[in-house]
Amino acid sequence: MNEPAIIEIKDLTKKFKNAADASVKGISLSIRQHEIFGLLGPNGAGKTTTISILCGLFPPTGGTVLIDGKDLRKDISHIKEIVGIVPQDIALYPSLTAKENLDFYGHMYGLKGSYLKDKINLWLEKLGLSNAGDRRISGFSGGMKRRVNLIAGILHQPRILFLDEPTVGVDVQSRNIIIDYLKELNREGTTIIYTSHHLEEAENFCTRVSIIDHGKILTEGSPASLIADYPGSASLENVFLHLTNRKPRDQ
Amino acid sequence: MISKLLASIRKEYLLLVRDRIGLSILFIMPMVLIFVMTLIQDAAFKSLNEKGIPIVFVNNDRDTLGNMIEKGLRTNSLCTFYDSINGKPATSESARKAIADGKFLIGIIVPPDATAAIRKNVTALINKTLNVDSPENKNSITGPDSVEIEILIDPVTKKSFITSITSNLREFISEIKTKIMFETFSQQIAELIPDKYSSPKNAFAQTQIITYKEIYASKSETIIPNAVQHNVPAWTIFAMFFIAIPLCGSIMKEKSEGSAFRLHTMPGSYLLLTMGKLIVYILVCLVQFLLMLSVGLYFLPMLGLPTLVLGNSFLGIAILTLATAFAATGYGIMVGTLASTEQQGAIMGSLSILLLSALGGIWVPTYVMPEAMRSISSFSPLNWSLDGYYNLFLRGYGVKDILVDAAKLISFFIATMAIASLVNRAKRNV
Repeated sequence: MNEPAIIEIKDLTKKFKNAADASVKGISLSIRQHEIFGLLGPNGAGKTTTISILCGLFPPTGGTVLIDGKDLRKDISHIKEIVGIVPQDIALYPSLTAKENLDFYGHMYGLKGSYLKDKINLWLEKLGLSNAGDRRISGFSGGMKRRVNLIAGILHQPRILFLDEPTVGVDVQSRNIIIDYLKELNREGTTIIYTSHHLEEAENFCTRVSIIDHGKILTEGSPASLIADYPGSASLENVFLHLTNRKPRDQ
Repeated sequence: MISKLLASIRKEYLLLVRDRIGLSILFIMPMVLIFVMTLIQDAAFKSLNEKGIPIVFVNNDRDTLGNMIEKGLRTNSLCTFYDSINGKPATSESARKAIADGKFLIGIIVPPDATAAIRKNVTALINKTLNVDSPENKNSITGPDSVEIEILIDPVTKKSFITSITSNLREFISEIKTKIMFETFSQQIAELIPDKYSSPKNAFAQTQIITYKEIYASKSETIIPNAVQHNVPAWTIFAMFFIAIPLCGSIMKEKSEGSAFRLHTMPGSYLLLTMGKLIVYILVCLVQFLLMLSVGLYFLPMLGLPTLVLGNSFLGIAILTLATAFAATGYGIMVGTLASTEQQGAIMGSLSILLLSALGGIWVPTYVMPEAMRSISSFSPLNWSLDGYYNLFLRGYGVKDILVDAAKLISFFIATMAIASLVNRAKRNV
């Protein structure tokens, strides 16, 4: 793991207007190229806020973020060109077909012509949707929507891919398909930043994880090293519960 | 850039054609509205309370006829009397211009020496009747149309208003005419025939000494104001501005379905997305306009209503329609950006359009509004558009006469887009 850092975060803070408390409180992280980095934490820990800031959706309140050596505040247009995002909620037009959705998003990323068409067909086939390409999204199952949602974020082969709960609400089959192709994408050079509540999935998928809670990083390392660091923990889930306690957060 | 824009336009087009309820709001409902409102208002015009119609009066006679008409108009509850324009005494020229500019709905011009001419004609008639043979008498009768009172009418005036005023005026002038005739007649008879029982008064009563000529202050003589001329442009503008609701819905759906989130993370795509919406909805407005025109030109006549007359300037119509389409679309984008939920956008959009249309003279003509409301109505973009269409359709004006209204509408579009952009930026800077 001697790859150079592609994302450098220093003292990142975010306090929303009218909010009593900051959502992100001085996070510092260094994510290396070709990593599959897991950002894990309970509901309201600050995962989605952190990812949203890194995608340029809204500005941070404090701290610095360098992505591919560029300052997030100054070179947002360059950063937007090299990142892809697969949001937690399905971000597709229900009344358009899968191909129409992907064609639109592909064009928005600057792809066009037969290259885009081939890419769409290739990914639909890879994710088992080749027969559903001309059907409207509104008639898709949850798993099928998730897969199209994933393709929309990776069509342009981003150097950095943000995945916010990419497998939430899907069956085991769809989840396996998604994870397999994310691994393939990573092998081809894409750095993946991933959030999930599926800790078993994260343990198997991520090369390194960071557990955050209340806007702060609690621990960081490879899943294996974290399990080893916390005696009595047989899995990443045990480590997670040990650090974040067992009480539900969204009561 | 072009390829992104085309993709955005294609996406908007597909979303629109697959939304059947949205399509019905955009095309079918306004057409039905034009049918219903034209039929209702055509009947309603006839029973409107016709009070306070602004009338400008020019008394070039300065004698009995002119003075009595003036006195009568001043005390008539049907009209509001004016004998000056912009603080200066009204002249025939200034009155004609003021009517053509829409400052007054009706103007009455009594020609110089009208009373003297009546007296002269009556005297000559009496002399002729009584066979007083002199060369002066033979030449003095110039025919039945010797005194012509001009009644100037703004084409935007409802036909029923014109009928009320002119019939009232006819009746009133008829009384004056009879009075002058009898005064002159009595004097002449007293001088010529001591036996007053043989006077031929019935012959004078039947004589048409004063005639009327209604002149519409329009460059095109063929245009006649009617319910269709008023309602088709008015409800077309309303329909064009009503796209704010489906447009706002489209923006809100994009937010709620998560597409806006993804688009905000893409390079420069949100601007393109807005441009895509703008182009598609401007085209929708233009299609709406053509459909509404077809209703006025072909469908309303089938129901026994008059055919819409378009005036003389197709370029003027094109410029004004495009400017209205821009203003309506800009307004929709602004409402869609300001609203936080689809429901909020629908309420905000529909209520504000109803308010702006009421103020703009779509529901009730501005000239029957109180003075204060009339001043407020000039701030409604729907009023600018309606005024432009009145200039083109009713007054028969050309391109240069609608440029101010078109410029106001384009400025409104720029202002709404600027507000939308600022609000969008502020909302993202959470």
